Amino acid sequence: MKSSPPAWYRYLRFWRRDVPGDIDAELRFHFEARIEDLIARGLSPDAARAEAVEEFGDVDAVKRRLREIDERVARGRDRAEWFDGLRKDIVYAARSLRRTPAVSLTIILTLALGLGVNAAMFSLLDVIFLRPPAVVAHPDQLRRMWSEHTSSTGREFYPGYDYASYAALQAATAKQADLALYRSPESSAVSDEETAPTAMVSPVSATYFGVLGIRPELGRFFSAAEDGLDAPAAVVVISDAFWHRHFGGDPQVIGKTLTIGASQYATPALSRYTIIGVAPASFSGVDLDAVDVWRPLASTLPTIANIPWYRNPNINGFQILLRLHPNVPAVELEQRATARLRSADVGPFRLDSLGVAKLGSIIAARGPGNLTSSEQIAARLAGVAIIVLIIACANVINLLLARAVRRQREIAVRLALGISRSRLLRLLVSESLMLSLLAAVAAVLAAWWGGALLRTYLMPDVHWGESPMHWRVFALALGTAVVCGTITGLIPALQSLTPDLTSALKAGAREGVVHRSRLRPTLIVVQAALSVVLLVGAGLFIKSLNDARAKDIGYAVDRLAFVELRNGAADSATRALQSQRLLELQPQIASIPGVEQVTYASLRPLSGYSWVDAYFPEAVTSTKKQPLGIYTAVTPNFFAATGTRILRGRTFSGGAARGGPFEVIVNDAMARALWGNAPALGKCIHFEKADAPCATVIGVAQTAMLTGMREDPSPHFYVSLDHTPFANWGVGSVILRANPARMSSVLATMHTLLRAEFPTVYSRSTTMEQTMEPRYRPWQLGATLFTLFGVLALTVAGIGVYSSVSYAVSQRTHEFGVRAALGATARDVIVHVLGSGLRTVFIGIAVGVGLALAAGRLVASLLYGVKPDDPRALIASAGILLVISTVATLAPAWRASRVDPVEALRAE
Amino acid sequence: MTLRELDLLQGTLDVLVLRALAISPMHGYAVARFIRNGSDGSFKVLDGALYTSLHRMEERGWIESEWGSSDKKKRAKFYRLTSAGRRALRSETQSWNDYVAAVARVMTAPVPEPG
Repeated sequence: MKSSPPAWYRYLRFWRRDVPGDIDAELRFHFEARIEDLIARGLSPDAARAEAVEEFGDVDAVKRRLREIDERVARGRDRAEWFDGLRKDIVYAARSLRRTPAVSLTIILTLALGLGVNAAMFSLLDVIFLRPPAVVAHPDQLRRMWSEHTSSTGREFYPGYDYASYAALQAATAKQADLALYRSPESSAVSDEETAPTAMVSPVSATYFGVLGIRPELGRFFSAAEDGLDAPAAVVVISDAFWHRHFGGDPQVIGKTLTIGASQYATPALSRYTIIGVAPASFSGVDLDAVDVWRPLASTLPTIANIPWYRNPNINGFQILLRLHPNVPAVELEQRATARLRSADVGPFRLDSLGVAKLGSIIAARGPGNLTSSEQIAARLAGVAIIVLIIACANVINLLLARAVRRQREIAVRLALGISRSRLLRLLVSESLMLSLLAAVAAVLAAWWGGALLRTYLMPDVHWGESPMHWRVFALALGTAVVCGTITGLIPALQSLTPDLTSALKAGAREGVVHRSRLRPTLIVVQAALSVVLLVGAGLFIKSLNDARAKDIGYAVDRLAFVELRNGAADSATRALQSQRLLELQPQIASIPGVEQVTYASLRPLSGYSWVDAYFPEAVTSTKKQPLGIYTAVTPNFFAATGTRILRGRTFSGGAARGGPFEVIVNDAMARALWGNAPALGKCIHFEKADAPCATVIGVAQTAMLTGMREDPSPHFYVSLDHTPFANWGVGSVILRANPARMSSVLATMHTLLRAEFPTVYSRSTTMEQTMEPRYRPWQLGATLFTLFGVLALTVAGIGVYSSVSYAVSQRTHEFGVRAALGATARDVIVHVLGSGLRTVFIGIAVGVGLALAAGRLVASLLYGVKPDDPRALIASAGILLVISTVATLAPAWRASRVDPVEALRAE
Repeated sequence: MTLRELDLLQGTLDVLVLRALAISPMHGYAVARFIRNGSDGSFKVLDGALYTSLHRMEERGWIESEWGSSDKKKRAKFYRLTSAGRRALRSETQSWNDYVAAVARVMTAPVPEPG
């Protein structure tokens, strides 16, 4: 006879149902019992066994059948138990959350804040760094070509090439890759009327759509024949969004005409285009700024000084895209391209014969080029967002911990009644998971509009084509919520699972035993430290912003405005007439109330510059490495009006000097670059040709800002608008110096005046402040967001300190009663509580200052005029936190000092 | 004709098993013994079919099982009626009685004289 199963078998069954084992055991018992009965009736054992089997039928078939049934039963039971457990957990969690609605709400809001900030940040980073342009075929084969330049200050990467580079590369790499060329879109008017809507127009090579592997939604894309360098076809492809916006999604749009006005800088050779195709819905170009209209390269680009655009090395804002052929390693193509570009001496290789061609991802932000400052700030802010989340989690742990301590008695009772620890743990964690899932829902909503807000705030110049939300954002929000919920639930739950049962249940222990955990002070330290880090960040960016605003950029920022004519498809003769008329209008413009001065320039400051080949016979330094042909054509009172100081010499003499010698004013940077310490006045410059007549330097102006805040002082010179040694485009901008208070009325009057004078052309105005705003934006942004996050962190930390200290005080009521009875004064008690509360904060501040110093180098490159270890920022941040913590500690300290010894002792 | 060779219909076997368990919870072999003794050998149930019936009724929720030890201190699986099983027994008994009565009426009806 077989023995019964061993004892451990039961434990095995405890974990997993053993269906076949159970059936075997049941039937074994049956046979044993039956055989025993039959033997008792006088059968021999063998006969008895045979009889029992006979009576049973087909044993194996029955076993199979039973097993089928029982496994079905077991599965159903498992499922039911699981759902039942889940339901119970949810009911329990919901009930205990409802019992303390204020705490629950605080927790949900705190977590929603932390999660929302992260989801919003991530939705932005996702678009910048992770998403290749939509509908492009096999984005992994696509590359963008950069050029790498090594100088004493390090390596730099540029994405820009001229057309000659593209042509050279196309010939040299035809077997390895397909190439396309494009320029970033520029805003252009798409009709001649004054209220003309604008469109983002991007010139592209005919190969562009083919290389990207896109099929048109309607019509067709460009053919090679439409790509003529001198005589391009007047055809355009429009985006789906533009098709709907401008043509109402008209299915007959192919063959219609689109009039495109001038972009800001270039007069187009053409203006009336035939629409030949519509791009597929989600495609809006390869970069973040959405394109509305694509047109052939040549249709937008001018011939300057008889040099056609495709041979002009200064028209170099093209970017090269390429699709590698299968099995062509990127390195091989880079080497081939480098060799070809060096030998052709074109594009960026003209100035740096040691340049290297580099392939990068189609996603521009992935480099190898530098990130724009907005992208850099976005990446840093992601780090800040994580800090906010950590602080939020720390605070939630703190709140849950306080609650767990209050519930210690309940937990002890449950444990005493025999609930398993793992089940209790599950209950407690499911509670915080529920909280954080609720928070995740709130967070996704917050991220939805927060992400849109961040986009417009961080990168307002970008025309976003796509929605900020993506499944990755949802997944991240949900994933972080689950992680936070588990961690914040697990820590307090594990703490409360270790109570001493008897002491917790003892009568008199109203709130469980005094549990002197090191966890809560640690949480306070974490919160305080991270708050300090954020506050230091805020301080550094505020200082940067102030320094940037205070910088003398060479212009009277608050008093200048620029007015320009947007004269669509005007030819050069018309433009010359307009220019002349604008100059004649000076007395009328100057009489507008509020206007202090009127002056003119070929281009308004900070909007770009013109370039001419220049030769410097008396230069003492090499002129090869620096761009030295950048100029602006101005009228004599330009300097007085804009606030750019003349350091030496004088300004132009105006019309009187017509026919006399050519005059040039150089800026200080140019004077130093060319002639060192020798006097610049009287020096000679030849324009366009080395043997052209001398233009004489008559003045040295202050080095005004040319493009941005971070530029090195850039060589730049000025020529007279009405008397230059070379052709120029005439008046590009009317510059008004006006009383800031009356600026808007001045501009309105100015527009009325221009409309009367030029009925077919509309005018645009910009103030200097609007021009500077994007340049201050990195610091504005850093200051705002760091301050916002810092204040949030500070609030949360303050609440943490308050709740922590007041909890400690309530636990020690008895002790304070004894102290008071022994003669401690109220002041003694307050000092005692303040001291013990602030000790933790001090540690936090010390840690925070250390962290801030360590993290400083991460933001150093984003700051302006201030070092990341700026002592004022550190001290101010520590001070603010200390004040807030003191305030948060004073209330419970005062309460401690009011403890009535008699009552405190009687209560025990 | 004897019932010895009768193929018991499945439903009928279920009623017999339920009837056995209505007396008290018992293990499978006890149920088999109950039916064997009660029928007095006039019909035969394969024990395999009996166990299949037990497990299927457990799945249906009419009975539930629990491991316990037999009179001889051996581990055995005991079955017990649930309230659903009790209801099932009542309705099955009723229809069985109706059936028996109907058959009995037919069998005891006077046989008309031939002719």
